Amino acid sequence: MIRRLAGVLWLTIVWVLLWGTFTPLTIVGGVVVAVLVMVVFRQPLVPERLHIRPLHLLALFAYLIYDLVVSAAEVSWETLRRGPAARGAIVEVPLLSTSDRVVTVMANALSLSPGTMALQIDHDHGVWYVYALGPRDRAGVERARMRTLKMQRKVLAALGSADERAEADRLIAAGEAR
Amino acid sequence: MIRDVISSVFLLVGALSCLLGAVGLVRLPDLPSRLQAATKPQTLGLLLVLAGAAVRLELESAVTLVLVGLFQVITAPVIAQLVGRSAYRSGAVRQDLLVVDELAEKMPDD
Repeated sequence: MIRRLAGVLWLTIVWVLLWGTFTPLTIVGGVVVAVLVMVVFRQPLVPERLHIRPLHLLALFAYLIYDLVVSAAEVSWETLRRGPAARGAIVEVPLLSTSDRVVTVMANALSLSPGTMALQIDHDHGVWYVYALGPRDRAGVERARMRTLKMQRKVLAALGSADERAEADRLIAAGEAR
Repeated sequence: MIRDVISSVFLLVGALSCLLGAVGLVRLPDLPSRLQAATKPQTLGLLLVLAGAAVRLELESAVTLVLVGLFQVITAPVIAQLVGRSAYRSGAVRQDLLVVDELAEKMPDD
């Protein structure tokens, strides 16, 4: 019930923002439209609970903005310096969460990270395949793999369980030892 | 006055970032690398242009821009992933430009 109310609240906010005016008419209209949408398109409620840690979530937002800036700079630099000679790699990276919602956040975060995007997510085997722009040799490929692991660790800090975080730390430590 | 300066810095840097994205579309060699140019510098550029515009608008119009930015950040990665995935499956990713392709080693030939 609380989830459905949150849905109505969010849709109302979007509606009011779209109108750009805070009048009783837009607010009431927003509530009516939101309730209609929620009733007509009933979403299945996902039973799983997210372990949200608000401070880490804020840190994640800040990190993503920073990542987007670095990302734009790196891709631009690659464009100017290498251009047609740019190389990429498709890298297999362990997928550190089984929750659909956490994986969605990770895939979105990955797309904001420098030169990377998700090509394929393989839930059954717990891996995903990441395209990275920029690596020119094996060392570059390993750097891209580590970067993706560390990004996932940041998402888990905000939304993951303690077990998932421990597993992420273990993989990162193993990767750095190599 | 200060508002104008802040706004123009945002607008100019944003426009530059978009330009670099457009240059990337032309200069980069294949589809997935061009997708990077189409998503990253473009997204940052759009957000900066929105921020630059928001500084000069009255509050009510400015909050609508927040939605534009939000939906850009939410939707661009999804589209990039869908296009990238279909490109890979239809063979539009040039293998000679990849240092390594660990997905090919796992996918059955079909």
